[in-house]
Amino acid sequence: MNGALGQIYWLLWKDLLLEARRRDNLLSMFFFGLSLLFLFSFAFEISSENVSRMAPGLLWLAFMFSGTLALNQLFQGDRENDCLDALLLAPLDRGAYYLAKVFFNFSLMFLLELCILPLFGILFRLDFWHLLPNVLLYTLLGTLGFSVVGVLFAAVTLRARARALLLPVLLFPLMIPVILATVRTLQIILGAGTAAELVPWFRLLVGFDLIFITAGFLLLEWVLDG
Amino acid sequence: MRFRSRTAIFRGLQVWSAPTTVGAAAALLVAETALSVRMDSVSKVYGFLWALRDVRLEIGAGEWVGLLGPNGAGKTTLLRVLAALAYPTAGGVELFGQELSYGNSPLRRSIGFMASGAHLYDSLTVSENLRFFVSLYRNDVNLDERATVLNEVGLHEKRDEYVSALSLGMRCRLAIAKWRLVRPRLLLVDEPYGSLDPSGVEVLNRFLEATCASGGIVVLATHDVPRLLERCTRAVMLDQGRIVFDEPRQDPWHSFHSAFDALLSQDSGGPR
Repeated sequence: MNGALGQIYWLLWKDLLLEARRRDNLLSMFFFGLSLLFLFSFAFEISSENVSRMAPGLLWLAFMFSGTLALNQLFQGDRENDCLDALLLAPLDRGAYYLAKVFFNFSLMFLLELCILPLFGILFRLDFWHLLPNVLLYTLLGTLGFSVVGVLFAAVTLRARARALLLPVLLFPLMIPVILATVRTLQIILGAGTAAELVPWFRLLVGFDLIFITAGFLLLEWVLDG
Repeated sequence: MRFRSRTAIFRGLQVWSAPTTVGAAAALLVAETALSVRMDSVSKVYGFLWALRDVRLEIGAGEWVGLLGPNGAGKTTLLRVLAALAYPTAGGVELFGQELSYGNSPLRRSIGFMASGAHLYDSLTVSENLRFFVSLYRNDVNLDERATVLNEVGLHEKRDEYVSALSLGMRCRLAIAKWRLVRPRLLLVDEPYGSLDPSGVEVLNRFLEATCASGGIVVLATHDVPRLLERCTRAVMLDQGRIVFDEPRQDPWHSFHSAFDALLSQDSGGPR
């Protein structure tokens, strides 16, 4: 494989291999997300009448908080032994580096979501298995939106001292359109709206993903080398 | 900076049009094209600290430059500026006739930076590290070539061990293997001798000599003066970010020793 595609392949190969050997990211994300859902299920009075309106918001809060954990660790492997310097030294296309990180973060998040969704159904007594393709489609689009913005801001805060604090402060306000769209679509899918209402939210999610993936692809060079 | 290479071309054209001055102008042109690294009044400031001050340095193809100086003299900063890992606050750098830009730059293919023990993933094995880093530069390296190079640096037996299990000297050997496969034209080496055993030093020196013999450039920063003097073709001394000595190798090299003694006595002396 040549060029940027080859570089994306090798970067992804390296990140997945490091994650498979350490497993700290995925495990901490899973247990944090699960604990949050568990606490939410006790903290809020959720009945069969309001479950389809409340549960999607709580689910996405859990995804976002555990996703932020992963973003804080996203460049950690490259920071050890100054490997980031070795990557920046190489004729590595910065856009390829951005896309590899997005794919990696997206894979981790999606894996987490696949593990959390069944437990979410059990905790909130939701039967959404027949709606799974729709749920997964909007979860995928929302997760991609989270990753494309999150990776860019994880890179922005890479050299900051208080990056664990700075990252959510910068990231969460920008995530409002994604949260609104994913929560609303999930509410509609679970029965709190009509199918026609899904279309504008679908457009919003796709537009958001396209805009930010382009911005991240173009901007990472300035963020890392600036 | 960009105009300088155009001036060189213009001078070359003058050579064609003025046969009487061919000898002198051709020599000038050769000198211009053989010049591969040019640092033009480079300064680098970290906060209030001047790591480099008005550094002017020109290095030709095939040179092995030894970079010396006390701690904090600016050796590593100079290497990082040459590697395009740090922006100069003022001045510019030209490599192989092109201005060194930052970010995505095709020039990066020509630059190697060997930092002792660093730039390797602890949780990847020796061969995985090699495969990953070399794939960012070249995609035509096969298994045999990697095995041969690992054999030459004495790491073939350790190819499936994690880098975290390697000693600093072995990590340094792995870095040698990596740059042997990449074959950069400008190789920057930061303090390699401290971690290598005598056979490792020999492997490194052979590699650096081969790089220079093929027209590449080696810039090596170290405190190990005797080892450096065995091989380098030129010495540059830095003190407080300034170049205080820059000479090609001579035998005997009295000026080097007196300059080095002066630097040492200054470094161990009172306030400067």
